[in-house]
Amino acid sequence: MTLILEQLVAGRRGFRLPPLDLAVEAGEVVALIGPNGAGKTTLLKTVAGLLSPLEGRITRPGPAAWLPPPGAVSAGFSALHVAALGRAGRRRWSPALLPEDLEAARAALTRLDVGAVADRPFDRLSSGQQQLVLIARLFVQDAAVCLLDEPLALLDPAHAQQVETAIRTLADEGRVVIVSTHHLPFARRADRVLSLGPDWIESASPAAALAPDRMRALFGVETAACPCCGHAVG
Amino acid sequence: MARLSGVPGWVPAVALTVLALAVATVVLCSGPLGVPPADLAAAVFGRGSPEAELALALRGPRLLAALTCGAALAGAGAGFQILFRNPLASPDLLGVSSGAGLGAAVALLLGAGVFLTQTAAFIGGLAAGALAVGCAALTRGGDGRLALILCGVVAGALASAGLGLVVTIAEPYSQLPAITYWLLGSFTRATLSEAALALIPAAAGTMVLLWLGFRLDVLSLGDEQARSLGLSARPLRIIALCAAALMTSAAVAVAGVVGWIGLLAPHAARLVVGEQAGRLIPSAMATGALFAVLIDRLASAFGPAELPVGLLSAAVGAPAFLLLFVLNARRA
Repeated sequence: MTLILEQLVAGRRGFRLPPLDLAVEAGEVVALIGPNGAGKTTLLKTVAGLLSPLEGRITRPGPAAWLPPPGAVSAGFSALHVAALGRAGRRRWSPALLPEDLEAARAALTRLDVGAVADRPFDRLSSGQQQLVLIARLFVQDAAVCLLDEPLALLDPAHAQQVETAIRTLADEGRVVIVSTHHLPFARRADRVLSLGPDWIESASPAAALAPDRMRALFGVETAACPCCGHAVG
Repeated sequence: MARLSGVPGWVPAVALTVLALAVATVVLCSGPLGVPPADLAAAVFGRGSPEAELALALRGPRLLAALTCGAALAGAGAGFQILFRNPLASPDLLGVSSGAGLGAAVALLLGAGVFLTQTAAFIGGLAAGALAVGCAALTRGGDGRLALILCGVVAGALASAGLGLVVTIAEPYSQLPAITYWLLGSFTRATLSEAALALIPAAAGTMVLLWLGFRLDVLSLGDEQARSLGLSARPLRIIALCAAALMTSAAVAVAGVVGWIGLLAPHAARLVVGEQAGRLIPSAMATGALFAVLIDRLASAFGPAELPVGLLSAAVGAPAFLLLFVLNARRA
């Protein structure tokens, strides 16, 4: 149950990330940090299988699921249906989703404290509620590898805390979780930090990765605090 | 369910279907012949009064055509609106109507009969749809939906140019009126066998769209979400497009170009059942069938020289669409 990246080069036309060797155990939360445009989304999408790697190999312990940042998914149907669609891949030839899929979706929504909005159209929910519904969908989908792209962006502190708890639960249940973020206190509480600079990638413990000299190298700013919220991270 | 909480999803679709069939029966029974419904039912099995037999023979085929075409156009329109997440998507999005119009016009120019004209329209519609889907398949990556819309516009424009050429060289006293009348749309030409022939591709397309059901909802989230949820977006999208193009071609081949139903009916149904594909498509189809029957009845109410259905559906459909839009916007 390990995600293994061997000499993986992610990229698109005219854009190459440096090669990456990484093994992530199930149950681990890896925070992916780096400046805008460094290639965090490209790396996540490559690991998810949405982009083909330019070079190298990816060995996944099971199917991977990718979640875009809050506000990127739009749907006119109910939050319950959005969560239940997590089972779409398992019902490939079935004419409809099964009642047990709806039950699993309702249970996941209730667990993440958004059961009350299950029957409301997804588009009418707040960004925080939408993000919780999409994470509930990850539980319903039960993918072995969960890749979340800035799941804490746009969220108020209460929702951010709920989302962080849910992310930790995803990992505790035996999934590989990689999360890109600009919220450094979250990275501090992760199991490992993957720093993505302009021409280097390094994997380190949170304390080492968030040290002032590494922050200077990564973001070019002098800070012992989170650039997005000012919390001390060292 | 978005609007009717506590009601099972299939109830609105069944209720609307019963309503459409009931209205069709009333239309059959009313009129100068005045046939009682029981007599009509007997006539279906060949044991009715002469009046009932006559009413069925005269009005039966065009009613069947109206029901089939209305449902097919509305189903295709709903499918396109879901696939493209665009409320303005209509059955003509891939240039299918223009392609069918070109096929029919060429057939009429060559002096073909009704059956050959409809076959040519069917082939023309499918060819335009295939051209649009084929061109879009050449683009790799990016948002597949935008490529399809642009290629649909291209296919439609090419067909329209061909149609313009045919109209220019058509003989103005016999061929041109026939082409123009065909392009305006009507259910009166349909014989029983032609209406039944349209029923087969329309039903096949409907089965595919209904089977796709929740997969259409996944596709409406975008290709990356679909793939992340474990579905292959591109093949599914092409299957859905082919089904919708098949339904549109079947309708246009029998009735000519009847606009607005495919745009209007899904919007009306959405007010009642919400956005979920599995619920929206059946309800939209029943609404479309009902609308087509009513419009056809209205068209024949103007005396022996009937108005083209395409004209009336636009005259009624455009204001109705505006009304629906205002209602929907106020709810939001």
